Amino acid sequence: DEILRSLAGPPSPPGQDPQGWRVPVDCVRANELCAAEPGCSSRYRTLRQCLAGRDRNTMLANKECQAALEVLQESPLYDCRCKRGMKKELQCLQIYWSIHLGLTEGEEFYEASPYEPVTSRLSDIFRLASIFSGMDPATNSKSNHCLDAAKACNLNDNCKRLRSGYISTCSKEISATEHCSRRKCHKALRQFFDRVPSEYTYRLLFCSCKDQACAERRRQTIVPSKKNEDKEKPNCLDLRNTCRTDHLCRSRLADFHTNCQASFQSPTSCPGDNYQACLGSYAGLIAGFDMTPNYVDASTTSITISPWCSCKGSGNMEEECEKFLRDFTENPCLRNAIQAFGNGTDVNLSPKNPSPPVTAPPKVEKSPALPDDINDSNTMYDTSVITTCTSVQEHGSKLNKSKEQSLCYSETQLTTDIMPDQKTFMDREASGSRHRAGRILPFVPVLLLLLLL
Amino acid sequence: SRRKRARARHKPCALKELEVSVSELGLGYESDETVLFRYCSGTCEAAVRSYDLSLKSMRSKRKIKKEKVRARPCCRPLAYDDDVSFLDAYNRYYTVNELSAKECGCV
Repeated sequence: DEILRSLAGPPSPPGQDPQGWRVPVDCVRANELCAAEPGCSSRYRTLRQCLAGRDRNTMLANKECQAALEVLQESPLYDCRCKRGMKKELQCLQIYWSIHLGLTEGEEFYEASPYEPVTSRLSDIFRLASIFSGMDPATNSKSNHCLDAAKACNLNDNCKRLRSGYISTCSKEISATEHCSRRKCHKALRQFFDRVPSEYTYRLLFCSCKDQACAERRRQTIVPSKKNEDKEKPNCLDLRNTCRTDHLCRSRLADFHTNCQASFQSPTSCPGDNYQACLGSYAGLIAGFDMTPNYVDASTTSITISPWCSCKGSGNMEEECEKFLRDFTENPCLRNAIQAFGNGTDVNLSPKNPSPPVTAPPKVEKSPALPDDINDSNTMYDTSVITTCTSVQEHGSKLNKSKEQSLCYSETQLTTDIMPDQKTFMDREASGSRHRAGRILPFVPVLLLLLLL
Repeated sequence: SRRKRARARHKPCALKELEVSVSELGLGYESDETVLFRYCSGTCEAAVRSYDLSLKSMRSKRKIKKEKVRARPCCRPLAYDDDVSFLDAYNRYYTVNELSAKECGCV
């Protein structure tokens, strides 16, 4: 009984289901809860020191590190999650991975998502979008849906501002500070997808097309770099390794794998038949650094998506590389989800088991009516985009090697070919069940304990 | 309806908006994308100051003859809206600044 109470954590979080299991709190909050307990906070500190610059195996060879990990598995930190676009998202993800890098075997093909599961549905977006009209898919067959989407965005102050924000940043071609401007471009794109309601962003990104002009406009949505097109594509596994060195990119990729992984049991091919979750993680991956996927061409008949990479030069990892790439290029879940959005259809599921209580309120996005209140925090955000990398570098010493600065430098440095030594191969279904097992397993000892009590 | 028109003409200076295509802006861009064009319109009778009255008087007394002066406040943007970006017909992105009014006033 006492164990249960301690598990539930101090001031019992708002969402707690009848069995008394902790509903995941966000990691920033979990960190606060942990800091309030001397036992937890010292172990957490130990673990972070253990993990710093070491791989999992060397870390676990140390008894002290192992003990710290075991204790932390029973703290609120263990099953904490983050929300996309939340305040302090990076901090949250850093906390998440600081524990989970020690728990997973490291180089897994698929990783569990650090983000809270998405419970909303595409139909919610359609309902919202219908308020703004023009969403009726059966209107004019000649109309260009992508152009309509641009119009809808331009007529909304918030959408227009953030769209112009990333377009002006990303279409600027400065050769000298190439990496830095790309960094700023990704940041601006991220702001657009995190801060503009999805009824606008999805319409731009997933509009359905009947002619090439429309499809080209759709491909141009995220301002694909023109410079890229004459450069050789990097290897996909190298790209993945680079991505995994960054907490944000790693998280978004894991989220994409969790929500868009093709499953062959369901009619939609999507996990939980949730199109919204897949599209959300896809949009989340955009500006996940160089992992950004996009339409490969302006074809109207077939939709092919890929990050800017190929499997050339994979050596003996070719099979794994192809498998990684296929999750983008030949993914029935992603394709069905995009088509379903374009057609304005969604799967109708009778809510047999009501979704679990989520700690956070369902994404209540402000969709500001005209005129928009411009004096909100957005303005602050906007100026932060303008902050150039170079200026950060100049003041770098003052800022004590800020995040932004290291990001600016790292892009090329990180691409050094870290060939993954041993990777675990799993087929899709096995890994799917493994994920689930990974979430249930930690409770097994607790269950046993409860039985003993 | 004439009375209605007359009343409309005497509306005080305020922000109005129009949905127009980028091509229609006449800036030389070719694009079907629609943007919101906000402009200032209305009269500034309430904003007439002693300055305006005196200036008018000077002019009528021919103390000011050749110079171009304006003895009436004018409804103009006090601030401009944020940048507007769009994709043109040749798949190039452009960003235009100070296209649209954000706040109007009699100046």
